[in-house]
Parts: sequence; structure tokens; C-alpha cells
Amino acid sequence: MGLALTAVLAVGTAACGNSSNNNNGASQSAPASGSASASAPASAPASKAATGEKKVISYWTDDRHDQEYIKSLIDRFNADNADNIEVELTVLSENFNQSVDIAFSSNKAPDLLRLKSANTGTFVKKGYLAPIDAYVTDEMKTKFSSLLLDGVNRFDGKLYSLPNSGQTLRLVYNKDLFDKAGIAKPPESLQEMVDDAKKITEAGKSEGAYGFALNFKNPKSAFDRSIREILSLSGYQGLGYDLKTAQFDFGPYGQVIDYFKQMWEDGSILPGAETLDIDPMRAQFAAGKIGMYLSFSTEPGVYKDQFPTTINWGGALAPTIDGKRKGTSEIVSAGTWLGISDKSKNKDAAWKFMAYLYRDEVLTAYHEQGFGISVVPSIAEKAKNPDVPGMEGFLVGDSDSIWPVSPTVTPEGANYGDAFFKYMLSGGDLAKVTADLNARYNDALAKAVEKGEVKAEADPSFDPSKLKTNS
Amino acid sequence: MTRWTRLWENSLLLFPSIALTLALGIYPLLWVLRYMFYDYPGYGQEMFVGLDNFRRLLRDSAFWASVRNTFVFAGGKLLITIPLSLILAVMLNGKLRGRHFMRAVFFMPTVISTAVISVVFYLIFNSYNGMVNQLLMKLGLLGGPFEWLGPDHAMMTVVIAAAWGAVGNYMLLFIAGLQSIPQDLYESASIDGAGPAQRFWRITVPMLGPVMQIIIMLAIIASFKGYESIMVMTEGGPIGRTDVMYLYLYKLLFPLATSGTPADQQFGYGSAVGFATALIVGAITLLYYWLSRKMNKVY
Repeated sequence: MGLALTAVLAVGTAACGNSSNNNNGASQSAPASGSASASAPASAPASKAATGEKKVISYWTDDRHDQEYIKSLIDRFNADNADNIEVELTVLSENFNQSVDIAFSSNKAPDLLRLKSANTGTFVKKGYLAPIDAYVTDEMKTKFSSLLLDGVNRFDGKLYSLPNSGQTLRLVYNKDLFDKAGIAKPPESLQEMVDDAKKITEAGKSEGAYGFALNFKNPKSAFDRSIREILSLSGYQGLGYDLKTAQFDFGPYGQVIDYFKQMWEDGSILPGAETLDIDPMRAQFAAGKIGMYLSFSTEPGVYKDQFPTTINWGGALAPTIDGKRKGTSEIVSAGTWLGISDKSKNKDAAWKFMAYLYRDEVLTAYHEQGFGISVVPSIAEKAKNPDVPGMEGFLVGDSDSIWPVSPTVTPEGANYGDAFFKYMLSGGDLAKVTADLNARYNDALAKAVEKGEVKAEADPSFDPSKLKTNS
Repeated sequence: MTRWTRLWENSLLLFPSIALTLALGIYPLLWVLRYMFYDYPGYGQEMFVGLDNFRRLLRDSAFWASVRNTFVFAGGKLLITIPLSLILAVMLNGKLRGRHFMRAVFFMPTVISTAVISVVFYLIFNSYNGMVNQLLMKLGLLGGPFEWLGPDHAMMTVVIAAAWGAVGNYMLLFIAGLQSIPQDLYESASIDGAGPAQRFWRITVPMLGPVMQIIIMLAIIASFKGYESIMVMTEGGPIGRTDVMYLYLYKLLFPLATSGTPADQQFGYGSAVGFATALIVGAITLLYYWLSRKMNKVY
């Protein structure tokens, strides 16, 4: 009896194995949830002049906002390409980086990946990406020349991705609440921001409206979409790194935190903001409960589709520390879009699809439909402004530019987001907090440089007011 | 059936369990025991660092804060869960009308996903539009929103959520224990004039001793290891006030997603923290087992 059961189990297991082996590798590795297949229908056009063996290319992305558009492009590519290439799209939601790690460690990596500035360096270090230098044509090199940057899309002299669109960061504000509080325009200095938040709270608290909020459940995420921009417009690198000395210096960061602390102590921040993720916070903004916050240029799309709202809102340049603009507003996530897996057996085919997406026609439509703000000069020049309500406040202007990349390190102990948020809520000695962060981050930087993981070269002549703007 | 055939058959039947234990239990354990002496971010060549990870552990104030939080969380959860589940078990073990339905109601949270329970508790307790605040403000008992999940009260709220999810499970185990107590003991005691309170303290509690010892031990282990509900409700915040040991460990191995730059995974240091947390939980369990050894000597 026992033997019979074992035999049944063994046969069952084997059958499962066969069943999954019948699928292609890409679909095997696709997670069950959150995936969307955009492969060509079984009845692909018979007229297609398909040649050679069929090649299936898997493309993984964590972009949800543009998936319908990308799917339509894939359908067209699958139907029209003459090389018998079929692209399959997998749209992941959270934990994209972890899913990619698991896929690579289990030899089920996708052929093509969505790259962002935040993860490209890590993926290169992990050996996930193949250089694309051999594929990039001279025409492409010219088109993207001003945007090929070390540490962004180029590592150790090898190119891994090309840019498409970037994100600007802005102060997002509720014009109705500003009017109600008698405030004529968005704040230009942090003191004005503190004062405005207080006025809005005094005018709206009885109806549950408060002056300011951020997604403080994850303080680093909250500060990376707010203080980063305040600092870059004030003339400081936004993640606490001093480009002149190639050392971390959280002094300017601390100055900004004191104003945030003041808003907290004034009671101008939405109660419960310390438990808010970004989407619940956006829902509160859409409901007219928040006067202002800071975030990326994804917000117009969010309030168009995800949280449609009737409130009168807009985007404006972030305030600066003292009201004077000594730097430019950093355009983030701007140097990368797609990358080819180093493990791909179909790199040529993957490149063909990648080149298909990098055509002017696609990049222009991507910008015009509001999926991202184009940073490619030749596209930005001729493309029309996106027709998305609120987007006008986020468009690239005279005050926007791409900043030199700063090294990413993981220090011992709390990151700067957690350390400063703790100070913001419970007080303490700001000088000590700052000195501790400087010591731990610079220690981690020295170790990472020694291991060859990052580069940190001082640029004493760096002038934040002279960065090349993209207007 | 010859002896060899029996041995062969037994080995074959044992094989799946042994293989799974080796692959999913022993191998990861050996992996952790090795990597706690290395610096390894999950890519490239791991670097032997000797006892550096343990030196870092000793000076890591966030880890020791998470140990303190774990004791508060586990203590609070046990103080609510054990007495409440025992009381419910005694009530629903009697001849109460509708007791089967009530047992199912109290057991329900055990079969619901912890993530779902935690999201519901978040919706109930959040400060900006949570139901509890809305109700208390409508009744005039609160002038403004109360910060249930703020720095000062978040621990209390996550303890309540965790206790709510665990009571039904322990109630069922207590009911099983109660049903194994011979009824004639109660009958004899009643004849001798013992009231309900005396029967409870002199018969029920002592006779439940061995079962209670196991239930409390399971509850201690679960409380010290639990972090899922906290991860959903607060991610260990605000400012680390609900960061417990296993959540701290989880975040070292799998940094939570942010919109900014992702942090490196810290497999080496994470392994050292994992080893230390296992030692702490193991020591607490052994200590409890030793202290409660008399509970096992009822008969």
C-alpha cells in the first residue's frame, strides 16, 4: 500500500514537472499574480514573412501606468516583425527587484528588463545585464549623446541602457485649500511652507483638512520624494552626498528637517501620516484632506486614473531652504529604460524589440500620452505637451536638469530617512544625528570604494547653478 | 515479507520527508551557520570577516531595541491571549446554547490570512479616517483624532490585533484539553459541596497542567517569532517603536521596497542576527520549560 502511494506521488510529481516543461522558460518564470501576457494571438497574420525558428522574448516591467500602451506595441511588433520573434510581457507590481533576483538565481531570467536609475547599478554589479555597445547604431549614439552618463547607464565604459523619459519632482498642492486659507501662491521658502501649512490646518481642521502630509510609513521613501528636491533646488545634492568633496554631508539635510519638525510640532501634518503609504496618502489628497505634499510627475496620471478627483490642484516647483534658487530641480530616473539580460539566449532578438521601442514614433507618443516626460532632446523639442490634467505643472522647464550620479551605499544601522524621522518626531540633538550619519555613511562609502563597488571622485569645481537645464 | 523488503519499503517511505528536511531545514541552517562569518550582499564574492558581524550585533542599538520590543509585544500578547482563550474555552465547553456556532466564530480569525486581518485592523485604527476614531469623535468622547498607530500607542494596537488573531486557536486547544478531564471528578466535587470557582481552580486548572504547559510554550514561540501583522500595519514604525526581532531580520535580508535607491541585502549580518534571535527564542523556551516542569506532574 505504502509503495503504491509512493508510486502515485512520484508519477504525479513527474507529471507536474512535464507539464511545466512544456511551457517556454519565460512563462514558467512569470509569477502567477500580477502578470499579463501580451503575446500575439495564436492566429498571427499568415502573411507575415516569418523566417527561421520562432524566438520567444520575455519582458518584465514594474510599470503599471503604461501597460496598455506597451501591450499594444508588443501586439504590433509580434504581428509585424519579419524575424519570427514573439514578445511576452509580464507586469509585476511590488517587489520587482526581488522577483528579478529570484529569476536570475533560478536560471529563469527574462530576456529584457525595465531598468530604473535606482536599480541599474545593482543589476550591473550582480551581473544581470549585457552591454549593448555592439548593437547601438551611430544614429542612436548621436540622438542620446548628451544623456549617456557614467554610473547611470554606462558602467566601466560599457553601455547598458538608453534613456527615454524621466520624472520631475514638484510640490503638489490643493488650490481650494490654499484659497480657503487666504494663501495666494505656493510657498517658495521652507518658512513659507511651514506658515502655509499652519494656516491651512487652522482653516480646515474642523473638516479634517491639514496643511501637509507625506508617506511617512517609509521615511526614506517620503524624504526621497520631497527633501531631495528641496535640496537640489537649494544647491545641494538631494541624497546627502557632497559632489565637491565626494563625501556624505547631511548638514543641509538637517536644515530642512528642522522645518519638517516644526510642521509636526505645529500639528500641521495629517494625523496618522506616520502610518501612511503613498497610495492611501494620495487617496486623502484626492479627498481634499491635504494641503500639500511633494512627489513625482506620476501624480497627474494617478489623479486621472487611479484616484479621480474633483479638487482643484496643481504642481509647482518645490520651495527652497531660504527662498533662493541656487541649484536646479533634479530630474530623476532619467537615464535608463530597457536592458538586456546577460543570461538571455536571444540577445539579438531582444535588441530588435528594444530598438523597436526606441523609435522616435514610440518615444514621442510615450511623452504625448503622459506616461513620462521625455528627456531626449530631439523628442522633447517636437513632441506636444501631454494632455493630462495637472501635467502642466510637472513639465521640464528652465529650472530642471539631470544631476551627476551619487554613489549608493548601505550603512550600518538606521538609514538617513529613519534617523531624521526619529529626530523629527521625538527630538534630540540634531548635530549629533547629523555627525553620526556622516560617520556611518562615509565609512560605508570608503568600504564600498575599497571593494570596487562604487566610485567617488571629488569635483571641487562643481557648481549646482550651472547644470545644463533641459528646456 | 522479509526483513530486507520491510527495510527497503520503510526507507522509501521515509525518503520524501528526509529529503525535504535536508533540503529545506538542514541545508539553510548550515548556510546560515557559514554566512554569519561572511560579508555577502547577494552578488559577487563573499568576504570572510570572522567575528565582525557579531561585533556589529553587539553595538547595533536598533537590534537591541527590537529585542526589547519583542519582549513587550510577546508579553502583551500572552497576557491577553492565554487567560482570554482559557475563559472562552471554559465557557464554550459547558452546555451553553449555540456553543458550536460561537466556537466557529472565535476560531474564524485563525483561518483568515494574517495580512487580511492586519489590513482590516489598520482600517479600523488609523488616525485619519479609522472607524474607531470616527465613532469616538461622533460620540463626543474624543475631541480630535487619537493616534492609535502613532509612536506612543502603536505597540498596544499591534498587540491587540495579534491577540485577536490568536485567541481562537488557543481556545480550541484548551477545549480539547478540557474534554479530556474525566467528568466524574466534577461530579464527586459537586457532591462534596464544591462551587464553580472551586471546581475551576482545584480541578480544571491543575488537570489542564500538561496541556497548558504545551499551549503556553507554543504561544511563547509564536509570540516571539510573530512579525507578519506588524509588517502590514506599521512596518516596524513609527520610528522603530514596533520593530520586533524577526521583522528586523526580515528587513536585513529583504529590504522593503521604496521609491528611492534600494538598499543592499545583508546576508552575512542577517545570518548573524538570525542566529542570535534563534538563540534568544530557544533560551526563552527552555527557561519556560524548566520553570513550568511542575505543571507536568499533575497525575
